[in-house]
Amino acid sequence: MFYGYGILQGMWVTLKQFFASYFKKRGQDGALFTVEYPEQRLPEKERFRNFPFLIYDKEPENLRCVACDICAKECPPKCIYIVREFDKDGKPLKRPAIFDIDFTVCMNCGICEEACPFEAIYMDHEFEIASAERNDDLLYHKDDLLKSNAYFHKIRPNDATAVDAKLKEAEDKKKAAEAAAKAKAEAAAKAPPPPPPAAPGTTPPPQPPKPAV
Amino acid sequence: MDVLNTIVNAGIYALMGLGVIAALGAVTCRNLFHAGLCLAVVLIVVAGTYLSVGAEFLAMIQVLIYVGAVLTLIIYAVMLTARLSGGEASASNGQAGPVFAACALFLAFMAPRLMKTPWPVSPSALSATLSVNGLGQSLMTTYVFPFEVLGILLFAVLIGAIVVARKDKA
Amino acid sequence: MESIFVNLKGAILGVLGKFMPEWTMPIHSIMISITAIAVLGPAIMMYLTLMERKVVGRMQNRIGPNRVGKWGLLQPLADGVKMLTKEDIVPKGADPVLHLLAPILIVAPALLLFAVLPFGKGMIAVDLNVGILYFLAVSSTTTIAIFMASWGSRNKYSILGGMRAVAQMISYEVPMVLSVVPVLLVVGSLSTRQIVEAQASGWFVLTPWGFFGAVFFFLCTVAECNRSPFDLPEAESEIVAGFHTEYSGMKFALFYMAEFMNCFSGAALTTTLYFGGWQGPGFLPSWIWFFLKTYSFIFVMMWFRGTLPRLRVDQLMGLAWKFLLPLTLVNILAAGLWYYLGGILKFFIPLVLMAGSFTILTWLNKPYVPEKREYQFAD
Repeated sequence: MFYGYGILQGMWVTLKQFFASYFKKRGQDGALFTVEYPEQRLPEKERFRNFPFLIYDKEPENLRCVACDICAKECPPKCIYIVREFDKDGKPLKRPAIFDIDFTVCMNCGICEEACPFEAIYMDHEFEIASAERNDDLLYHKDDLLKSNAYFHKIRPNDATAVDAKLKEAEDKKKAAEAAAKAKAEAAAKAPPPPPPAAPGTTPPPQPPKPAV
Repeated sequence: MDVLNTIVNAGIYALMGLGVIAALGAVTCRNLFHAGLCLAVVLIVVAGTYLSVGAEFLAMIQVLIYVGAVLTLIIYAVMLTARLSGGEASASNGQAGPVFAACALFLAFMAPRLMKTPWPVSPSALSATLSVNGLGQSLMTTYVFPFEVLGILLFAVLIGAIVVARKDKA
Repeated sequence: MESIFVNLKGAILGVLGKFMPEWTMPIHSIMISITAIAVLGPAIMMYLTLMERKVVGRMQNRIGPNRVGKWGLLQPLADGVKMLTKEDIVPKGADPVLHLLAPILIVAPALLLFAVLPFGKGMIAVDLNVGILYFLAVSSTTTIAIFMASWGSRNKYSILGGMRAVAQMISYEVPMVLSVVPVLLVVGSLSTRQIVEAQASGWFVLTPWGFFGAVFFFLCTVAECNRSPFDLPEAESEIVAGFHTEYSGMKFALFYMAEFMNCFSGAALTTTLYFGGWQGPGFLPSWIWFFLKTYSFIFVMMWFRGTLPRLRVDQLMGLAWKFLLPLTLVNILAAGLWYYLGGILKFFIPLVLMAGSFTILTWLNKPYVPEKREYQFAD
C-alpha cells in the first residue's frame, strides 16, 4: 500500500508477540518458551544418553553384571575397571567385586551398552553431577553405579520394556529347553531296557508292544 | 547582589582566559587533532561570550554551526588526510621571534585606542534586534535582499560541491 | 500531588533562606534543579536498560532478566557493579587524552539536554527563550565526541564506525531541525514551555503537518541516538562495536549512558513538540502524563529495535537526504498554509500536499533493483 506499510505489518507482528507472551501458555503461538532452570526443567528425551549405570533386578546384590569384562575391553577411552569376585575357596563368582567408571574419561558414547551381552549396563539421563573437586569425586564405584530396574523403566520405558521382554524370552526358552531335556531324561529312564540280541536260527521272542508316543 | 555580580563577572573573565589558553593551544599543538579540539574550545568560549552579553540566539547558532558543523568538517579533513599514527604539524618554521615582535607592536598600537573608543550600547536596541523575533523581522523586512542573495550564494556553493565531488563517468 | 516537586523546591529554598545570605539564593535554586537532574538522569538510564532488555525479550518470546531481584529490578545495579569493576583497558597506541575525554564529552551534552525539558507544569530546570535551539545545538556537539572516541582508539574498525556515526548524525540533523520549524512557525517562540502551553487547544500531532512532522522528527531522533534500525555505527555483527570498540568498564558505561539519555531526551522532545508535553486530563498530575508519553515513545523505539533489521549505510543516507529532507521542506509549506487558511480548506489542502509529496518522493526513491539475469545454459 503506502510506503511504510510493510514496516507497520512487521511491527504489528512483534506487538502481538509482546502481548501474547504475557497470556499464552506454553505451546500456543506467541507463548514464552523460556524454561526457568533450575525451578522448571524440561523432561529429557528417552534417547538422551549421558553416563552409564548398572542395573539390578530385585536387590542390589543380584546385579545382572557377571564381570565378563567385555564392556571394559570395548570402551574406547578405557574408563571401566572390573575385578571379578572370588569366594572363600578361590573359585571365581559371576559378579564383580570392583566396577569403577572414571567419569572424567567417559565420553558418553554408549558402546558399553551396546556391547554388554547380559543387559547389565545402560546409559543414564543424569547430568547434574558436577563436582567441586578435580578427580576423586568423579570416579564412580559399583555402589554409586547401581540403580534398579524400576528406575530404568522410569527413564527409558520403551527400552526397558524391550529389554525385559528379551530377558523374559531368553528365560522362557531356557526353561523350555530345561523342561524338554528333563522330560526326555524322564522318558528315557521310564522306558524298559532294550531286548537282548537274538541267537541265529531261533525266532526272536515276541516283543512287548511299544508304548505309544 | 553585588557579590553575585562579582562572581558572575569573575566567571566570565575566567572563561575568556580559558579561551585565550585554548587559542594558544590551537596554534601551538603538534598533534593536529588536539589543535582541532582546542579550536572547539575557543568556539564554545566565543558562544559563552555571546551569552554573557545577552545574545542567546547568536550563542546557540554559534554552537550549532561552528562546533556542530564547521569543526566536524575540519576534523574530517584532519582525519582523512593524516596518517593513522596521528597527524603532526611541524614544530616551528623559525619565524616565531619576528612574529612575536609584530604582534606585540600591534597590541601596543591598538589597545589604548580600543579602550578609548566609546562603544555605544543601548540595552533596548540590543534586546530588540538580538531577540529571535527582532532578527526574523529584520531579515524579512529590512534585510530581505541580502538574505535572498545569500540564499542563492549558498545554493550555488551546494551545487558546486556536488559537481566537484561527483565521480567522473569516464 | 500535582505540584509536589515545585512545593518541595520552595520548601527547601525557604529552609535555606533562613540561614544563607541573600545573594546565594539564585545559586541554590539552580543547584537544586541541577541536583534533581543529575540524580534523575542516570536513574532513568539504568532502568531504561532494564526496560529495553525486558521489552525486546518479550517481543522475542523470552523473558528478560528476572533473576536479580523480583522481575529483574535490581539488574541495573548488578550491571553497574560489573561495569565499575571491569578493567579499564587503554590500547597501547591510543591517544590517552582523546581516549579519556571522549566518554566524558559524550555524556555531558546528554545531561545538558535535560535542562530544557518541561517535566511538568512549572517544572523546567532552565526556561531559556531559545530552548529548542539549545537542544539542537547541544545535541550537535555529540559528533565531536564520537570523532574523538573513534580516532583515539587507533583501530580501523573504530574509525570506520566513527566516520559512519558522524555522517549519520550530521545527515539526520538537517531533517530534524527542519521538522521542528513548523512547530516554531505556529507557536511563534523557541521556548519549550511556551510550545507546551500553546498546545492547550489541541495537540500538534492532530494537524496534518503535525502528524507528518512528528513522524519525521521521531525518525530523526531514533537516527540521532544510533538506535535500530539506524545503529550501523555500533553494529555488533559488522564492525565489532564501532566507535566504542576499545572501551571497557566505566568508559563503556558512560557511552551506554549517553545513548540512553539521548533516547530519553529525544522522546521527551517529541512529546513536548507534538504531543502536548505534560498536558492531559486532570486525573493524573502533569509530570506523570509527561513520563507516560515519553516512555511510550521509548517503547516505540524498543519496538523498532525488536522488529526491524539494520539499514545499510547508503540506504540510511538516502533516507535522510533524498526522502526526509524534501518532505520536511514541504512540511514547512504545509504548516504555513494551515496557519493562514481558514474554514474547510484548513485541513484538506495541507493534507493533500503532504500526502502527495510523500507519494511522489516514494516513487522517486524506488530502490535500485538490478535486472533479472538470464542464464542461457542453466536448466
